Amino acid sequence: MTMRERVGISEFKIATTPVSLVTYGLGSCLGITLYDAEVCLGGLAHTLLPRPRPGMDLSRMTKFVDASIRLMADELVANGASMARLQAKVFGGANMFAALQEWSGESIGQRNIVCARETLAELGIPLAAEEVGGNFGRTVVFNLATGKVLVKSVREGQAEVEY
Amino acid sequence: MTFKQLTEEHLDALREVSNVGMGHAATALSQLVGETVYLHVPQVTLTDIANVPDLLGGPEQVVVGITLQIRGDAQGNIILVFPLESAERLVAQLLARDHGPDAFDEIGISTIKEVGNILASSYLGAMGSLLNLTLIPSIPLLANDMAGAVIDFLLIELSEEGNQALMIETEFHGSNKDDKLIRGHFFLLPDPTSLVVITDAIGGLNDNA
Repeated sequence: MTMRERVGISEFKIATTPVSLVTYGLGSCLGITLYDAEVCLGGLAHTLLPRPRPGMDLSRMTKFVDASIRLMADELVANGASMARLQAKVFGGANMFAALQEWSGESIGQRNIVCARETLAELGIPLAAEEVGGNFGRTVVFNLATGKVLVKSVREGQAEVEY
Repeated sequence: MTFKQLTEEHLDALREVSNVGMGHAATALSQLVGETVYLHVPQVTLTDIANVPDLLGGPEQVVVGITLQIRGDAQGNIILVFPLESAERLVAQLLARDHGPDAFDEIGISTIKEVGNILASSYLGAMGSLLNLTLIPSIPLLANDMAGAVIDFLLIELSEEGNQALMIETEFHGSNKDDKLIRGHFFLLPDPTSLVVITDAIGGLNDNA
């Protein structure tokens, strides 16, 4: 019997088996998982922005992709995970409205994805899987017992895909 | 000025201004669909951005969302959220065709965007003339997906400035019974940088009274 725990916007949670961490309705936001398979310990973050820029509000660092990955990795290591064993998966970063991209150049979803890949590379955490981009929303269910991530969408024919 | 500095009087005034704007929007919608459109009392909510998807009916709720940016003297966003079935009924009714799964073909999408445009224009027009501000809606964008995904780009914008959202919300519904009922929510989310403009305009309103 798995227990579901919800991860809200601009927060991350860490957990171990038998919990499933879930975050709902990702659009341009990212859902980022880190997992140490040997101790079944992992975390899920729901982030809004790539990294702080001058003038941005810094009262909640967990809304940023780079800070969330670093803070979550630190907390996992503090709770018995090994940095060397951590593997990451990244989901979301969609562009829900095609016209928004035409106005603002590179979409916010795309910038989030790039930032996640860069931060993971800096920390030496391998990116085990990703399903990013597109123009549709995603719900992410992260099973801590197996490390598998179920991605749900409302697209026809591809309602659920496991990574 | 930040959202936290808003007083009860400001929130009351926003509710009242929104009521006037929404009254005009409802009249426009009534004329469009040929039935009376009823409004609920507007709600003004100051909340953590993390709570916004729940206030829209839950992050996984499949909705049709039309968003428009507000341009001119003040900036912000308008989101019109229809439950999927209501959006399908609205399209069927306006195009005088059967209510079916192909509601969102090209003409269906274009129709519902135009509904968004008409509602936003009449809302902003009324609000603008009351406050003596020029408020113009951008072209409407549409997404048919989970509510959380449809609106998270707005939360991303707001999160650059802080962790809160000011939501001015009105629920409306048509007068057809049961299986033909059209329901929707109209949301106005002002940018924090435009708060001063709006509260000053409201202040000017009181001075003239």
